Amino acid sequence: MTFAQAVRAPQARRVPHRPHRQAVTHHRSARGATRAPRASWEIRSFLLASGVIVAGFLLVLLYLAQATAVSAAGYEAQRLAAQRDELRRQNALLIIETARLDSPARVEAEAQRLGLVRAATIRVVATEAVAATR
Amino acid sequence: MTATISHMRLRVLFALFTVVSLLLSARLAYWQTVGRGDLLSRATDQVHSDLVVAAQRGVIRDRTGAILATTVQLRSLYAIPAQMKDAQGNDTRSAVAAAIAPILGERPEVLRAAFDSGAEWLFVRRRLPEETAARIAALGQSGLGFEMEPKRLYPSGAVGAQVLGFVNDDGLGQYGVEGRYDEVLAGTPGRLTVARDPANRELALGLRTAVPAKDGVDLWLTVDLAVQNAAERELAAVVEREKAAGGAIVVLDPHDGAVLAMASSPTYDPASVGNANAEALRNRAISWTYEPGSTLKAVTIAAALDKGVVTPTTSYQDVGYAVIGGRPLCNAQCKVYGPTTVTQVLTRSQNAGAVFVASKLGAADLNAYLHAFGFGVRTGVDLAAETGGIVRPLAEWYPVDLGTMSFGQGLSVTPLQLASAYAAIANGGTLYRPYVVASRRDADGEHRTAPVAVRRVISEETAATMVTMLTTTVDNGIANAAALKGYSVAGKTGTAQIPSDDGRYIDDAYISSFAGFVPAVDPRMVVVVVLEKPQSKLLGTVPAMNTFKAIATDALRYARVQPDRP
Repeated sequence: MTFAQAVRAPQARRVPHRPHRQAVTHHRSARGATRAPRASWEIRSFLLASGVIVAGFLLVLLYLAQATAVSAAGYEAQRLAAQRDELRRQNALLIIETARLDSPARVEAEAQRLGLVRAATIRVVATEAVAATR
Repeated sequence: MTATISHMRLRVLFALFTVVSLLLSARLAYWQTVGRGDLLSRATDQVHSDLVVAAQRGVIRDRTGAILATTVQLRSLYAIPAQMKDAQGNDTRSAVAAAIAPILGERPEVLRAAFDSGAEWLFVRRRLPEETAARIAALGQSGLGFEMEPKRLYPSGAVGAQVLGFVNDDGLGQYGVEGRYDEVLAGTPGRLTVARDPANRELALGLRTAVPAKDGVDLWLTVDLAVQNAAERELAAVVEREKAAGGAIVVLDPHDGAVLAMASSPTYDPASVGNANAEALRNRAISWTYEPGSTLKAVTIAAALDKGVVTPTTSYQDVGYAVIGGRPLCNAQCKVYGPTTVTQVLTRSQNAGAVFVASKLGAADLNAYLHAFGFGVRTGVDLAAETGGIVRPLAEWYPVDLGTMSFGQGLSVTPLQLASAYAAIANGGTLYRPYVVASRRDADGEHRTAPVAVRRVISEETAATMVTMLTTTVDNGIANAAALKGYSVAGKTGTAQIPSDDGRYIDDAYISSFAGFVPAVDPRMVVVVVLEKPQSKLLGTVPAMNTFKAIATDALRYARVQPDRP
């Protein structure tokens, strides 16, 4: 078919070709299909790679955040341990001070300073006598 | 021409590049292989710190749990003179010295001289009292800093110093319990290897290997702080009153040999050991020997009774002296008593009577009993620096020695040995090894010390007879000044001459002592009081007995022992 024939050809003659439009369309989509998967693969690869990079970045960030947190917690733990040790030391010093104040020698000296004297006699009640009266 | 030069330049450049690359590669290879270890260790040294973790030294407590010795970390003041500058960079050494000198009780010039000594870093004072350290810290002076150091503290001060001993600046226990139990008290140090940041803070994510320190064991003593305090107080008082050269007191529980108190004069303060003289460091209760004198008559008579050669009523005619080995041995002041029983020998403390009893017993048996009672050998008490005294071997005895030893001359004993011997009489005849540590307490729990019965020395009957005779000695005899109201007391006095270096006895100087136990029946304590060269001389036993009474009164009240007499 020449170009003229084609121009002159009735519209209806093109109708039977309609189904072919499908074919044409199909043909077009087939051609597109050869290009689209490639593009899709590239996009997917790009997205995948980007995703991996982003995920990796996030993981690194997460790790850094964790490491920083652990490190900070370590410093805090160290500070608390030092505080605990200091409190224990202060406690030990207070216990020693208590022992010093409780020392019989100090109590005696303090009693003398206050003018207290030893009891000359101490009355003792025999347990047997008490038991006999009950 | 230009192309040739450029080509040459390129070649030279390439060659240079190649050579440099090779050199760098070689250097890199060197550091990766041969120099790796050195590099690694240098890097590790910068980051890692390897520390010895000191073990906490064990606490020493008395039998009631009162702390006698413990260790705390105290602040030591150090100075870095180069850092003593104000905000404008002016030197502040003089100002720092002037500021801290009054707090430290030091002259500013002395501190300034220390700062100017050229030392980059120096200790100004070590182990400061807490309030002193706090006052200095509050000043906020630059160039000063604090470092923690362990310090052994004794809350009761000088009380019990001779029993406890002390810990020197190197952390080693010396004398007493500290010296004897240094290994168990000290514990085992640990190690800590950690990575640190430039601010010397430990890195949480870094290397951390730790071998934990094993703290020292806590010791609970048999010593009772109240009794110990009474013993030291009374000893110090009597030594001062009598202007004595020294003295010692031992208080034992006769039932198991537990040491309730042990005092020695002169003494020292463990907080300032550096100021104490060598004599003060010696525990006279265990490290000093003396001729016991008449307190030993109880041993001689116990031996003779146990051997069955005399009874309490066996009598002899006293003429004021006894001749033995061709030498006369007199009573005190050569007093003549006439007919005398063995009980009276003890109650009157007759030397001639003791010689009579010893003659009945014989040298071999007296020697055997002296050893059986524990004389001549160390008691085995768990304290450092004990001595054993001297009882010469039988082969070296002269005939007269039987007589002199019968009343406690010619042999030497420690106060603890005499106390142990009297404890054997008091408890029914068994000699116990004295001990000071009642129990050890560690992570595994409490490990109690089992009393050690060394041997039976005399029979129960003999012991009971001796208790009666010694009680009579206090009630009606020479030791009457030791009688206590409400309690039965058994005991014997002793006045002994002091041998000099030339083998003779020193004129007009004596060792006065009293050994006794209370109550006489079911006794709670044996007390031995020894005074060296009291000014009362021959009457020195009286202050010794008064000291016994004071200690016994306090201890019996404290222990709430019910009187056994109206």
